[in-house]
Amino acid sequence: MKTRIFSVLCQNVPGVMMRMSRYFTRRQINIDSITVGIEPTGLARIILMFKADDSLAELMCRIVERSEPVVDVEVIEPERSIVREIALLKTKKLGEKKMWQIAQQIEKAGGRVLETKGGVLIAELSGEHDEIERVIKELGEEVLKEVARSGQVLISREEICED
Amino acid sequence: MVELTGSKALLEALKAEDVKHIFGIPGGAAIPIYDALYDEHEIHHILTRHEQGAAHAADGYARALGKPGVCMTTSGPGATNLTTGILNAYMDSSPVVAISGQVPTTTLGTDAFQEADMLSVMLPVTKHNFIIHKIEELPSVVRLAFKTAITGRPGPVHIDLPKNVQVNKADLKIPATIKYEKKIKLDPSTEDVRKAVHMLADAEQPVIYAGGGIVWSEASAELVELAELLEAPVTTSLLGKGTIPENHPLALGMLGMHGRMVANLAVTGCDVLLGVGVRFSDRATGDVRHFAQRAKIIHIDIDPVEIGKSVRVDLPIIGDAKRSLAAIIQGLRAHVKRGRTSRWLQRIKKLHEELAPRMDYDEVPIKPQRAIKDIMGVLGDDAIVVTEVGQCQMWAGHFCQIKKPRHFISSGGLGTMGFGFPAAMGVKVACPNCEVVNIAGDGSFLMNSQELATVVENKIDVVSCIFNNGYLGMVKQWQDMFFQKRRSAVNLGKSPDFVKLAEAYGAWGDRVTRPSEIAPKLKEALRCGKPAVLDIVIDPDEHVLPMVPAGGRLDAPILT
Repeated sequence: MKTRIFSVLCQNVPGVMMRMSRYFTRRQINIDSITVGIEPTGLARIILMFKADDSLAELMCRIVERSEPVVDVEVIEPERSIVREIALLKTKKLGEKKMWQIAQQIEKAGGRVLETKGGVLIAELSGEHDEIERVIKELGEEVLKEVARSGQVLISREEICED
Repeated sequence: MVELTGSKALLEALKAEDVKHIFGIPGGAAIPIYDALYDEHEIHHILTRHEQGAAHAADGYARALGKPGVCMTTSGPGATNLTTGILNAYMDSSPVVAISGQVPTTTLGTDAFQEADMLSVMLPVTKHNFIIHKIEELPSVVRLAFKTAITGRPGPVHIDLPKNVQVNKADLKIPATIKYEKKIKLDPSTEDVRKAVHMLADAEQPVIYAGGGIVWSEASAELVELAELLEAPVTTSLLGKGTIPENHPLALGMLGMHGRMVANLAVTGCDVLLGVGVRFSDRATGDVRHFAQRAKIIHIDIDPVEIGKSVRVDLPIIGDAKRSLAAIIQGLRAHVKRGRTSRWLQRIKKLHEELAPRMDYDEVPIKPQRAIKDIMGVLGDDAIVVTEVGQCQMWAGHFCQIKKPRHFISSGGLGTMGFGFPAAMGVKVACPNCEVVNIAGDGSFLMNSQELATVVENKIDVVSCIFNNGYLGMVKQWQDMFFQKRRSAVNLGKSPDFVKLAEAYGAWGDRVTRPSEIAPKLKEALRCGKPAVLDIVIDPDEHVLPMVPAGGRLDAPILT
């Protein structure tokens, strides 16, 4: 099934995320990613990603649009937007040689080492979801102790394309 | 700006909404509001005996009057007791504004006495809900709640009001109006109307399927005008009963599982089906693969989420029912050819005559069909029929001829047993000059019979006709038909004596065992000057027939 992205502009009121996630739970859809940020106007922008076929995605759009705190729903085509995710990685205690090897691996993938103390390395990695998945998988459970991920944020390129 | 407590500001905002009645029960976290009510003369509070009763009463009030009904409770159990009634209002698109007290904001989340997380509890059962954290928000939130409840597709709204907000004071101004930010599409697009006009003008076997949306948009006149212009028969949903007078030559009666056979066959055989303000409930459509399978379906609704939710739609029209029908009528006048549907109408007329349900039974125990016939014979066209849920409701839906919108009030979507009696109470408060009759089953009536105290104390003279068969009849019917007559947990026995129960509360009560007694006793009940209970002992083996089994085809009902 195709990945769908909704960019939902809504009032920043208590329970708005709960409201949003409930619509998807009720239709037996698992939300792959949900992030929220506050716009300069004070409205909240929720970015939702989920998988659904065309008719269900269309229905979900109408359901979200109907929600009282929702001001606008933009259905975003993944190809016409820039999607990024940030992951913070913490390794297990490593030997010095292994640590440098891991650091190189992370930097090669476009990441940045933030701290190396007591044989533990902390790094940040940003990029497309699949790329982050690949790096995490490569490092594996043997190396990684903890991973914190932001969920996916994106911005549409629509207007750039039109201009 | 004047300095007001939150409670006083709440009442001022309610008065700005022209609220005359509140159904409710006080409690610890609502005492400041009730203290303010003590000095209030413009708003009449009716003390129910259970919060569910308050919610259903507000719902009945709203449906009868066409404007929001209000219920009020304390926090915790008072508020959670509202939920069934509020969900009932949500499923049937009824504008109820529910207000409950809450523990002070300073103790929210601490499992304080009678604390319930009502924002979360009410979220899936309301059109929208609020918690007011700051007194400054109160006036605009209350006004927005009413606007939300009644705008577009109506629905219930809940306001959670913490106790410290009720007692705090602030310089407040009740806004004269409030802007509703949500965009509602009222006017259908011209292109959609043009397409609909062509589809309808070409139809030789059209059917119109009318629902509760017609009631709320006050489009009955347009519905009848369109039906007559098109020469198209009209069937309705349960909540659409009365949108076309059911004695009109083009009226087919209710559609669905327990609908009229002629309606079910007409929908199955039609070439264009125009659904207006309906949600194509599974109880109305049966098997959707065979529902109106020859027809092109046009669906008019104000709520875009309803389009294509259950059945395939060839032409969706988003818009207000009244405006959409008016636009279609205007377009059709130039296109429609008179007599185009005459063969179809002849066929329908023949079916109508052949399939006319029999009601003139003289047997003892009384047949429910006969009871409905005699009840309707006594009631005038202005009487409002309210129903409980189950067999009694389906007999009423099938047999009662309702001639006006808002004159048949029933729990459709949720099928809430215990709805009818408190709802009838709300209806009578809204329309004190109308006869209000609750067609009840013995099982349903007992689920909120405590409201007998409320109607007696407040002199709300409703008549409950209890179709007493000693069973949870609809479950028994399913067990008889689909579970080899294994009647599990459906026998209610002979308790209570409903006449004595009524009398114990100070109401009028009497029992009817013979058909000839129904009309005279009902007349007596309507004139006794008290709330009344008529215990009609009916045949316990009677089923609601015909019946389309759940998920079955509308044209293949069980007949016996």
